[in-house]
Amino acid sequence: MPGPNPSTITRRRTRLDAQFDRIRAREEAGLAKSGGGSRTLKKFLNNRLAVIGLTIFAVIILASVFAPLLTPYDPNKINLRDMLQAPSWEHWFGTDRTGRDLFARVLYGGRISILVGLGSAILAAIIGVLIGVYTGYVGGWLDALAMRVSEIFMSFPQIILVLLLVSILGQSLLNLILIFTLTGWGGIYRMARARMLSIREEEYVLALRSFGLGRPLIAYKHMLPNALGPIMVNITLSTAAFILQEAGLSFLGLGVPLSIPTWGNILNVAQDIRVLQSNWWIWLPVGTVISLFVLSVNFIGDGLRDATDPSQQG
Amino acid sequence: MLTYIIRRVLILIPMAFVICFLVYLGLELTPGDAVSHMVNPDAAGSMDPAQLEALRQSLGLGQPFYVRFWAWFTNLLQGNFGYSMSGGVPISNIIATRLPATLELAAVALVFSTVVGSLLGVVSALKRGSKTDSVLTVIGMLGVSIPEFFFGLVAILVFALNLGWFPVGGRSMPGYVTLWDRLPHLVMPAMVLSIMLTAGVMRYARSSMLDALSRDFIKTARSKGLPEWRVYLLHGFRVALTPVVVLIGFRLPVLIGGSVIIEQVFQWPGIGNEFISAVRSQDYPVVMTIALLSVMAVLVASLIVDILTAVIDPRVRLGE
Repeated sequence: MPGPNPSTITRRRTRLDAQFDRIRAREEAGLAKSGGGSRTLKKFLNNRLAVIGLTIFAVIILASVFAPLLTPYDPNKINLRDMLQAPSWEHWFGTDRTGRDLFARVLYGGRISILVGLGSAILAAIIGVLIGVYTGYVGGWLDALAMRVSEIFMSFPQIILVLLLVSILGQSLLNLILIFTLTGWGGIYRMARARMLSIREEEYVLALRSFGLGRPLIAYKHMLPNALGPIMVNITLSTAAFILQEAGLSFLGLGVPLSIPTWGNILNVAQDIRVLQSNWWIWLPVGTVISLFVLSVNFIGDGLRDATDPSQQG
Repeated sequence: MLTYIIRRVLILIPMAFVICFLVYLGLELTPGDAVSHMVNPDAAGSMDPAQLEALRQSLGLGQPFYVRFWAWFTNLLQGNFGYSMSGGVPISNIIATRLPATLELAAVALVFSTVVGSLLGVVSALKRGSKTDSVLTVIGMLGVSIPEFFFGLVAILVFALNLGWFPVGGRSMPGYVTLWDRLPHLVMPAMVLSIMLTAGVMRYARSSMLDALSRDFIKTARSKGLPEWRVYLLHGFRVALTPVVVLIGFRLPVLIGGSVIIEQVFQWPGIGNEFISAVRSQDYPVVMTIALLSVMAVLVASLIVDILTAVIDPRVRLGE
């Protein structure tokens, strides 16, 4: 029995009706695409904040990578004749106390800061996923051991553990990345493990096991892809966190050695109250760039979460 | 209930012990020992090596590792944390003078962020999808994205240097004793420390409230004919806030981490400030002790959270 023709029912037409009509018109014209392109990607691109985030992210990354094309200055070249110049056409962000061009320092500093943030996040994710996926699937004493170790790491407030390790290992770029990796793997390990626990009794896993596939093969090749969504989200969010931490540590003078320009190291001089008060251009632009970058990464992370995890909407 | 608490404590003790052991291991592996803090390096150069060795023996430093660890550990339990490398001050004295300042700051930030964060989160959830909701979401995002010390710098420039409303830093001026006198010093660091926490609480409260509002008992309350405000306030709000309040314990690590940097920005004489200067001067005993204490604080807080959760939600204590 076909239902009554909708056009014969007299009721107030709502916005949904209009929307439905439009969709039907498109369908009849053969324009509606089905199954073309990734659904996740489409959902991500429909999220306005995520797209804004992606744009800012791309602009800052490209500007850092192509820094030599954008500025003629060397970020480390000391020029005592141009000390503490306010922003001008010649020096867009002005110059610092030793006459170094701040625009160049922000661009080149971005390379290191992003390297530290993204690099540590990816390394931490690799370690966390390698351990979490396997132990989560296998269970047993290996799982219990890994869980205990991660609990010990995670019971330290992160910045305390980072500073503790900095005081023991000393300050260097490589050490900082290692320390961030060491202190950051716990979160992603737990997430990967929890995800594995929730899918390890699913039928395809049981089927693979009954085929006699090896454990690592099942865990890494067949189960891991089903946990990729949350892992990607976690990588973006920990990138944001590491960039904030690098900035904080370098601001205190305990992060990357001061001879290497990073966003945090540029801010370091703002601890001096005179710089803070009368040379705003030294710290305000770079602080804004850090904030924008972290904001964009967080927007991307949120967008990814909404696009990959149907239970987290709203 | 009691068995649940006992079981939680029994899990905690070995972990605390392992952490103590690791910290002691770190202490042993870092250069310098008790003698090198007691005798200054110039004097040590001119002293007879045999004399130094005798001093080491008399302090028990020649004994095997496990004996030294045990001595250190039992001292720790009695509140004797050893001595600072710079000046040889007992670390327990340093902690005792520095801790109140940190607690003062943390308490204000904790209360402020809980109240403001949960209110904003609930408003945002009730007006889901509206302009208010999206504005609050973006503000919350800004709150977690802007470095706290950058907030601090801007606050110092605007409110202290330009407007002159608050002092630039420090906790009090000479001759100022009461809390009321110190209040202007407290405002900026406490507010800046609250920002990140508030943003976190807000996001959590929003999703918790949305979750509560989608449950069946809300429908029941509505179908009973209760006015909307009663539905929201008495049924939604109460259920949604329980996990938020329990979350206070989980925010402790963020609070400790935040106060380390904020205390430095505002020259607030707390534990975090001491920790940074100890890291800078590589005063390992102080670094290790403060790290150890912060871990213990986190462990105890998580224990309290677990117990509170069990009190509120019987499924937790019966489930395991």
